[in-house]
Amino acid sequence: MKIEPAEKSVLNGKVSGGSVDAARSRRRRFVRLAQSAVIALIAFGASNTAFIDPLLAQTTIRLNENAPGDTDPARSTRAIGSILFYNIYDTLLLPGEGGQGAQPHLAESYTIDGDAYTFKLRQGVKFVSGNELTAEDVVFSLERLIAIGAGPAPLFKGWVKSAEAVDKYTVRITTTAPYAPFLAATFRLGIVEKAVVLANLGKGDFGEMKDYGQAYLVMNSAGTGAYKIVSHAPQTQTVLEKNPDYFLPIPADAPDRVVLSYGVEQATQVALMRRGELDIMSQWASPETKRTTLGIEGVSILGEAGLTALQIKLNTTRAPLDDVHCRRALALGLDYETLASLANISDDAKGARVTNGPLLNGMLGYDANIPVYKRDMDAAKAELAQCKYKAGDHEMEIVWLAEVPLEERFALLMQQNWGELGFNTKINRVPVSLYYQSVANKDTSPHVSQIFPSALSPDPDSYLSSVYGTDVRGQPYAAEWLSDEKVDELLAKGRETIDPDKRAPIYSELAARLRELQPSIWAYEAVTTYPKSAKVSVPLLEEPGRNLRVAGMNMMFRMMKAAPAAK
Amino acid sequence: MLSYLIWRLAGSLVTLVGVSILIFGIARIVPGDPARLALGPAATAAQVDEYRERLGLDQPLPLQYFDYVSGLVHGDMGISLYTNRPVASDIIQGLPATLELVSASAIIMLIFGIAIGVFSARYRNRLPDHIARVFSLLGIVTPAFVWAIFLMLIFSDRLGWFPISGRLSEGVAAPPTMTGFYLIDSLLNGQFATFMDALVHLALPAIALSLPGLGQAARLTRVNIVEAYDQPYAEMARAYGLSSRKIAFKYTLRPALIPTLTVLGMDIASKLGNAFLVEAVFVWPGVANYGVQTILQKDLNGIIGTVLVISAFFLLINLAVDICVSLLDPRVHLRGA
Repeated sequence: MKIEPAEKSVLNGKVSGGSVDAARSRRRRFVRLAQSAVIALIAFGASNTAFIDPLLAQTTIRLNENAPGDTDPARSTRAIGSILFYNIYDTLLLPGEGGQGAQPHLAESYTIDGDAYTFKLRQGVKFVSGNELTAEDVVFSLERLIAIGAGPAPLFKGWVKSAEAVDKYTVRITTTAPYAPFLAATFRLGIVEKAVVLANLGKGDFGEMKDYGQAYLVMNSAGTGAYKIVSHAPQTQTVLEKNPDYFLPIPADAPDRVVLSYGVEQATQVALMRRGELDIMSQWASPETKRTTLGIEGVSILGEAGLTALQIKLNTTRAPLDDVHCRRALALGLDYETLASLANISDDAKGARVTNGPLLNGMLGYDANIPVYKRDMDAAKAELAQCKYKAGDHEMEIVWLAEVPLEERFALLMQQNWGELGFNTKINRVPVSLYYQSVANKDTSPHVSQIFPSALSPDPDSYLSSVYGTDVRGQPYAAEWLSDEKVDELLAKGRETIDPDKRAPIYSELAARLRELQPSIWAYEAVTTYPKSAKVSVPLLEEPGRNLRVAGMNMMFRMMKAAPAAK
Repeated sequence: MLSYLIWRLAGSLVTLVGVSILIFGIARIVPGDPARLALGPAATAAQVDEYRERLGLDQPLPLQYFDYVSGLVHGDMGISLYTNRPVASDIIQGLPATLELVSASAIIMLIFGIAIGVFSARYRNRLPDHIARVFSLLGIVTPAFVWAIFLMLIFSDRLGWFPISGRLSEGVAAPPTMTGFYLIDSLLNGQFATFMDALVHLALPAIALSLPGLGQAARLTRVNIVEAYDQPYAEMARAYGLSSRKIAFKYTLRPALIPTLTVLGMDIASKLGNAFLVEAVFVWPGVANYGVQTILQKDLNGIIGTVLVISAFFLLINLAVDICVSLLDPRVHLRGA
């Protein structure tokens, strides 16, 4: 073995040799090199906007939402899916401003003759492929939606008897029976280009239609929308840009580009807003996170009401809640003001407003003269005295959804409020997947659970029939397991009555009947809140009376205004 | 060596089949109706039943597994109920980004972790050692996502030195895909500006993901080197008057690295699954978050696809570690069955 000259004392590490200077010099050189690399890296990081100039000429807005970004109009009912839907596809009609009635869109006019709805299409509307929209595309889109059976399909399935292209620009859709919600249902019928879909069929189970183009439409647009897809990764990001061939004029101050990112951590969203790299924060951020953004210059809170409400579901088949007096006692014993305040961001930015029953404010049949719910312990005790059970006889399970942390606070408040009446409760945290499974059986459906059912369309039938009809018992929104002939009769009557003036009293009567039965506690009407930067304005939500009351529709980017980048 | 590799790869295939059976069964036993979750709460019971039938979920479990494997051998991992597109496309889209992140963090972890371990052992029970140990311990006990938020808030949000989100700045085109790793692809295409942009985007997430493992690497290296210092061969080297650096790097580091690498190999492999929170913080377009979402949404095909990819990664890393160990220790011979 070759023996090296001693350079250091191994044990004490002291230096004692002739090549020490060389070693030191090497070390210094290495340290200097490392320092230079770090400084260069940092300097580059701090100034790496140098080569993004080409995009600064455009106005870009950036939003965050929960993944995945659904782009297939036959599936798009989630929040992000709805936003994408109303920007890359169009519908025959749109709701009138304020969410009332219907106004022409792809259809320039429509007529109703009994159960037949005839739509006259605009001429010259182009798909992003450059081909013209025809009646065949509308018929195909409807058939495709019903066949796939997901998303908005319940609005049409079982109700459409036939759909035919009368001529190139005329479509006739016949319903199986008088179906008043049909016009509002068309707000969810996105029109896809038949030829493009047929040219891109993948492997699937729909016979000659294979997968009905689902794999293609998950990644690509085949619509006429005001925006077209530039890039799309359903789990991470979608980039859209203005469609220069859109059939309606798009204002110059509408954003040229939109970047939607998915599933970004809340602290990151705040940091991005502070740096001006995020314009509209996710609606799913906690009230605390949203409150943090109020400290950022120019940030304000957008509120979108009329889409959903917190329903506290009472299983009407399990003791003690199979007695209406016990249910009413719970409703009267709840502190609504405190509960709603838990969802608020600030005094000016409310995430909740206490309501007066099952209908959302402004919905057909809603009666603003009915007072909102408030806690009344004396009345609660009086109801409890009439209940055939004593408050402490049965332990009640209060469930909150693991995916909605805010519900835990609501559950704790319920436990405290109802404990004052003598009710014995336990709180359980349950993931959505388990919740859906448990409500499918009346014996496993929790005594008390909380959910925010969202209406597929602004029509009251869409909102109420998926919760209170006997035929939907056990479905996720119908954990009450309510079965009441009068309710079923009014739901059917409301569906069959076409004239809005005659429908309104039917829903008022239905709301009164539900208030009497108290299958749910209508805790508050939710106001979906989005912190937004000063760079963007959303007139549909900022100007009174313009809210379209359909999820995603108020986020039509062509209706927004974006200031140029300030970099 | 070649026969060993073939033998190990064959063994890996058997392991993957076992994993697929296990996960296939578990994913179906776990409560929750995938058809209901896919169609959403507004779908009617009839629609859900019809969809379940279309997915083949009404078939006996062995038949469902046979169908799945039949597709798999043709490269078809099925359709994701979560994103409604082929699972393979979902994974391929995000996997390179996650692999680049994991690789970068593994490099940081190994280089700095081992260096700190050697340094710490060299000055054992003295101030530099104490500082290094505290740092290592801090790294281990603090989850990667906490480091991610901490680094993001300090260096991106407050100081503005690094970008917060994504793999590249807006307007910077991704380099032509060769490996899917932006750092490598940009260099191979001579795009130095893109390389630097990718590097500054990668720096913080990679550091955040590396820190827990880095602490582990430092501690393991220190312990094993300290142990090696007490071995007779180290005593002999000291008796010969060899430099402490030479003893450290030539005589004690190699044997000390063997147990360290074995543990760290598993640590690197587990980063593939654990990266999702770091990805969420830095808006990193990877696949780790997809894996988590598939479980939450009970996306049967997505769960199996993700688990198979992670399992394959584990097996590959394990193989790489065995090869490294055989290179470090000449007494270890890699032989086939």
